[in-house]
Amino acid sequence: MNEHLPAAQQDVTLLELVDRVLNKGVVLTGDITLAVADVDLVYVGLRVLLASVATLEEAEPGAR
Amino acid sequence: MLYLYALSEPPTTAPDVPGLDDTKLDVERAGEIDAVVSVLDRTRVEPSEKAILDHARVVDRLAESNDAVLPARFGRGFADAAALRAAVAERAADLERALDLVRGCAEVSLRALAPGGGAGTPAGSGRDYMRARLGEQRRTQRLAGELHEPLAAIARTATKSVGTGSELVFSAAYLVPREAIDDFNAQVARLGGDHPDVTLACTGPWPPYSFATVEPGSG
Repeated sequence: MNEHLPAAQQDVTLLELVDRVLNKGVVLTGDITLAVADVDLVYVGLRVLLASVATLEEAEPGAR
Repeated sequence: MLYLYALSEPPTTAPDVPGLDDTKLDVERAGEIDAVVSVLDRTRVEPSEKAILDHARVVDRLAESNDAVLPARFGRGFADAAALRAAVAERAADLERALDLVRGCAEVSLRALAPGGGAGTPAGSGRDYMRARLGEQRRTQRLAGELHEPLAAIARTATKSVGTGSELVFSAAYLVPREAIDDFNAQVARLGGDHPDVTLACTGPWPPYSFATVEPGSG
């Protein structure tokens, strides 16, 4: 996305991407599941990272 | 094993990037719908960061050249082209409707965080605590509405869930017509200015992963 984003926000973007690819998207009946993702871990990671974004923005007002 | 990356509206050109395991992408026509696939030598795929990014890159590239794309969930495959065609045919009407919905749109994700998340609970009596919690819940509902409504008005459609956690006010995905993305981002910036106490984590535009849904198993 944007290389000028703060590191924490880039991490959020990566986690949002992982969340989308693993947990959203179309699923057809009759397909074969090749992978089982650990959904909970993604959400835990997101929460931690989003909290760090909040901290970051408090430290740098107007950074966004 | 045919690994599925996305469904799209014909005509589809296979993106010029490798698939998982450096495989070459193909387009399989299934009725009025194209499927972007590649042949994998294995029947199990680890959801490694590399594999996830490979999958996402194919979908991204496809969405750059095709107006109506339904990303597939990671790690789904079919025994052969006949099995894929049968699966698409079974849901053809729903899939064509979904392609119509996402045509010309991208997805934007928004998460709103309230201050003091994870900072612990305020000291005081149990009653003070309960009162604080109730007030917080009402405030969360109201805030989620104030943030969501003006954005939903720009979007073609949206999904929204009000946060149950302590810091997450709500999370939402918006399906935004491409020509309205700038308006949408401006509105997010405006809302951020109106609510300096809230952190808005906005990402995208994404291919419409959150809107690539058909009800499973009812067809």
